Amino acid sequence: MSCRKSYNPPAIASPNSYLVVEGVINSGIDSTIIKLSKTVKLSSGTTTNPVLQAMVFVQSDQNVIFPLTETTNGNYVSAGLNLDNTHKYRLSIKTGDNLQYLSDYAAVLNSPPIDSVSYDTKGYLTVPGLNIYVNTHDASNKVLYYRWEYQETWIFHSNFPSYFKSNGDTVLIRDLANDNITNCWGNYTSSTIVLGSSAKLSKKVISNQPIIAIPSTSEKVGDAYSILVKQYALTADAYTFYVNLKKNTEQLGSIFDALPSQINGNIHSVTNPTEPVIGYVSIGSTSNQRIFITKKQLPDWVTIPFHTDCELAYPGVPCCYYVYPPGPPNQVDAYINYKKGGYLYPLIPINAIGLPGHPPIGYTAASRECVDCTLRGTNKKPAFWK
Amino acid sequence: MFFIQISRAQQSTAKLISVNFQQATITQFISELESKSSYHFYYDRVQFDSLKITLQVNDKPIETILDLAFKNTDFYYAISQQQIFLTKGRQIKTELATGFLEVAPSEKEVKQTSAVADYTDEKDKKVPEATTENKLYEIGIKTNSIKQGNAILTGYIRDIKSGEAVVGASIFIASSKAGVATDKFGYFTITLPRGRHTLIIRGLGMRDTRRQILLYSDGKLNIEMQEQINSLREVKISADKVANVRSVELGVTRLDIKNIKQIPTAFGEADVLKVVLTLPGVTSVGEATTGFNVRGGSADENLILLDGATIYNPAHFFGFFAAFNPDIVKDIELYKSSIPEKYGGRLSSVLEITNREGNKKIFTGSAGLGLLTSRFNIEGPIIKDKTSFIFGARTTYSDWLLNLLPQAYKNSSASFSDFNLDISHQINDKNNLYLSTYLSNDKFRLNSDTTYSYSNKSVILKWKHNFNSKLYSVISGGMDRYQYDVSSTANPVNGFDLAFHINQTNLKADFNYYLNSKHTINFGLSSILYQNSPGTFEPNGSRSLVLPQVIATEQALESALYLGDKYDVNTNLSISAGIRYNIYNYLGPQTVDQYAPNLPKEAGNVLDSTTYKKGQFININQAPDIRISARYLLNDNLSVKAGYNTLHQYIHLLSNSTSISPTDVYKLSDPNIKPEYGDQVSLGFFQNAKANTIEMSVEGYYKRLRNYLDYKSGAVLLLNQHIERDVINTDGKAYGVEFLVKKTAGKLNGWLSYTYSRTFLKQNDPNAGELINNGNYYPANYDKPHSFNFTGNYKFTHRYSISLDIAYSTGRPITLPIAKYEYAGSERVFYSDRNVYRIPDYFRSDFSINIEGNHRVHQKTHNSWTIGVYNLTGRQNAYSTFFTEQSGVISGYKLSIFATPIPFINYNIRF
Repeated sequence: MSCRKSYNPPAIASPNSYLVVEGVINSGIDSTIIKLSKTVKLSSGTTTNPVLQAMVFVQSDQNVIFPLTETTNGNYVSAGLNLDNTHKYRLSIKTGDNLQYLSDYAAVLNSPPIDSVSYDTKGYLTVPGLNIYVNTHDASNKVLYYRWEYQETWIFHSNFPSYFKSNGDTVLIRDLANDNITNCWGNYTSSTIVLGSSAKLSKKVISNQPIIAIPSTSEKVGDAYSILVKQYALTADAYTFYVNLKKNTEQLGSIFDALPSQINGNIHSVTNPTEPVIGYVSIGSTSNQRIFITKKQLPDWVTIPFHTDCELAYPGVPCCYYVYPPGPPNQVDAYINYKKGGYLYPLIPINAIGLPGHPPIGYTAASRECVDCTLRGTNKKPAFWK
Repeated sequence: MFFIQISRAQQSTAKLISVNFQQATITQFISELESKSSYHFYYDRVQFDSLKITLQVNDKPIETILDLAFKNTDFYYAISQQQIFLTKGRQIKTELATGFLEVAPSEKEVKQTSAVADYTDEKDKKVPEATTENKLYEIGIKTNSIKQGNAILTGYIRDIKSGEAVVGASIFIASSKAGVATDKFGYFTITLPRGRHTLIIRGLGMRDTRRQILLYSDGKLNIEMQEQINSLREVKISADKVANVRSVELGVTRLDIKNIKQIPTAFGEADVLKVVLTLPGVTSVGEATTGFNVRGGSADENLILLDGATIYNPAHFFGFFAAFNPDIVKDIELYKSSIPEKYGGRLSSVLEITNREGNKKIFTGSAGLGLLTSRFNIEGPIIKDKTSFIFGARTTYSDWLLNLLPQAYKNSSASFSDFNLDISHQINDKNNLYLSTYLSNDKFRLNSDTTYSYSNKSVILKWKHNFNSKLYSVISGGMDRYQYDVSSTANPVNGFDLAFHINQTNLKADFNYYLNSKHTINFGLSSILYQNSPGTFEPNGSRSLVLPQVIATEQALESALYLGDKYDVNTNLSISAGIRYNIYNYLGPQTVDQYAPNLPKEAGNVLDSTTYKKGQFININQAPDIRISARYLLNDNLSVKAGYNTLHQYIHLLSNSTSISPTDVYKLSDPNIKPEYGDQVSLGFFQNAKANTIEMSVEGYYKRLRNYLDYKSGAVLLLNQHIERDVINTDGKAYGVEFLVKKTAGKLNGWLSYTYSRTFLKQNDPNAGELINNGNYYPANYDKPHSFNFTGNYKFTHRYSISLDIAYSTGRPITLPIAKYEYAGSERVFYSDRNVYRIPDYFRSDFSINIEGNHRVHQKTHNSWTIGVYNLTGRQNAYSTFFTEQSGVISGYKLSIFATPIPFINYNIRF
């Protein structure tokens, strides 16, 4: 009686390729990175669609030009521009197909310094955990709106520490100094838009603006944690743009969802003024601050490992793999030495089985994701890490 | 009067007599005449003892003397040789044939000019029995001479069989264009010149009747009418065939349940609201929605009244059925433009649903069986001719239907029921009491997971009191409640119970003052106390870890005073004008946030919040509303009407599903949410043709809306403590033109309507936080420019008829996601401008055959069958469109509910 059919009106089926411009013109010593891409249609399997071979430059109202150079993936970069704060600037883009786009001229709005990045352990709603806040103020009372980005870094551990390693043919002792796969640094860059406003306050202060809430069970707070908060100053216009972008995120246009609205940025097509262009380019410096939090500073929380199903012995699979078991075949070759055995998912050796002073008769081992933390992080200590 | 002519014909040898009477009794009068002539009088003295005769004549025949003496009374004489018979009134009986001719010509004229094939010819129409039609009723204090000037006649018009009030019946005298209509109690007041008249009474679904009256002074007359059993001849759409042209109101449609029952519906059961959708200017956003849009208004801008009780959710079962029992409903009336002063609080329309009164004479009832629903009703006298009751119940067994829905709805269940119990009681001549109660329940579960239920409850008591022939009042008080509940225990840890309700207590006093034949004045006051719970969210089950969340209850008082006058300037021009003064108070206990001026209402911009105590006035809104309409008759069959009205609305439906759904929230105006305001001008031409059997109208309107609520992107409506942060005020405009042709008689009857209408909204306040479509006008969710409807019924014989229904409309606007991209670390969806695209056009045709059982009057039960097909062409109209993401690919789908022709059958029995 009723039916569900594919609904693919022309508006959706057409390529719908619109320019997306992301980035900030950094007026200070930091580099300016502008990322150009194009939207893809909904049915597309991938969202990455970089715009290559465009001409991108920053232009002042005195017609001074600062070119950006293309790197990879549609990124256009310039070293610190050190712009004169008394002038206005805009971004100019000319794509490979000779279409020209301009952002509106805007004055330089520099971010005031971050007063502090603070934290508490109150948790979010009913979930206990760590909350990170930012505090700032603008002494000149010029900056009313802010946006923050953050980068989190934390130490985490694989489920089992590995002291051995297979080179494919044979199992060797692992070089723990250079080839540690037990302790890694994980990192995450913000994908949510964090906004704040001091517009209603008589003193332009941002106090305890929440940046992120981390549940107590997260492995981020299992050892040591660090967060770098980047602060951008926004004009009222830019703030509105980000508020709308935030609300439109992730929702789909079913009739039972809230009504979305179109995003209007500050970039326009010169060639075709009605063409939608997505993105808002602001001009200003950023300010950063990093803090470290170690487990000692936190309550006695129990973290839950990322992989919860790691065991040495599975039902039906013995814990241990022997060179000479009670009988052939050689289980170490079969499961661990990946060049010899045909096992599709070679196991990583953990510890040796045998009498001290004698060659091991076998090894404990587990699947790679339970042993190798480099699958989800890096074992290279970041430069900033204390 | 005709006796006089007869007797004159007999007169040949007249003897002349002179007399002089001053307040003479009948005995004095007769003994004087007997002494002066050879005649002998025969009469009943008792009948004549109220007569006083003042008369002076010289040398006149006896006939002349009797003529003068009995002039303007209902005494008659007949002369037979030397005998004179004096009688009162009833002697008409013997001279019926001649007497009837006097009123017959008007009817003959109708017949001659009627170009429409009339099935019922003369032989079907029995010669009127010597019923009350030909009796002369004397009204008022009798005198033998009629004074100059006017007198007022009042009374009730009732159904002779059931004693029920006949609403909207028109009463007029043939010689004048002036007429009045009965109100919802069947009550009428008419001013007439003193003297003798023939009243013509026409009522919806009733046989036309007439009464001879002799009006001495103000008085009363109750009239009983017979039901038009033979509905072949006249299927009246309007109570009065001339109302289309003559009434002062524009944009008002009344439909009788008989018309409603002829229209095929999805499951064969007459649906009060589906019929409304076939009228010009009324649209809906989708197939299975009972929320409707009138002249570009949203679904919550309609005031739906069931015998005066406000119904918030008029639908059952996702909107497949109207929540009104067709066996109880008597008629419906929709006001789109000229909204009477006594109504207010909604911007677009008033839909008045009137239930029947119980039969005051005998016990009767009916039952109906359908594929999805059954219904039953019984009614009868509690005290004969004084007190009666009517009870109706409906229930469903619709689970099998859900199994036909897509896989996603398997393991679902649904049920609904509704009950009506109405009692009417006549205390005495001057006082009547009416009690109406209503209860509806809906419960459905989707995928054995979440249970939704909602319910309407109403009770209302009305007291009608007649002060005198000019003034009467209706005082009513009642309570209306709408509530819904969503609960789930599927996951014991997340088990929840979400509840919402609206409670309103109403008090109303309406007065109707009949000043004179030119002015009828309405005035009154009303007050509604709202006590709403906008949402509570609580754990369900002992293992639930859900944190309770309660949105503070809301209270408000909405009051109004009104005054209106219907002024008949002359026979061609009538004006109805009124004012309604609204006073709205938002009441404590409540905590209200104050936002920084000129900044968006957002959490970050709260300056302060104030807590108010219970019953404290938080703010007061006062505003007058104006209602004006006028009619000018260009000729007997053509009129032009114009109207202007303004309206305020203080309760707002927050719904992102474009129709009314059980999880919508009603929000009262508060300091942060302004009342909605609308005004409308309209102009219409109304013409009747072919002896009032074809009615045509063209109406145009232009509407402005202020502070209509639309939503910010990503608005959260449910359990939102600060709803003002997610809504924006928009301004709107709506305009349109509506064409209607109705054929009200003949084998083929029905109507055809076409409407062109547009509705646009605009949000251009930069302080609101976001501009929609750059602050330009954008089409509202229910903007459907073209809408065409045909509803027709063709009678083959008394027993067989077929109905056909065709509906077409433009698809409603939609905002589409059209692309995706990466920004700020996430994949994001790019949407088109709001409402720039449209879903596919809507088209549907339905067909049904109605078979009546035999028409013998004296059988215990009457039965009928309805067999038909809904969506004859099987067109897959879009019920909803939606988008889902699966492994990174976003795909669009269109869901059609009635995608194939749906046969149905219904059996009805009356006893």
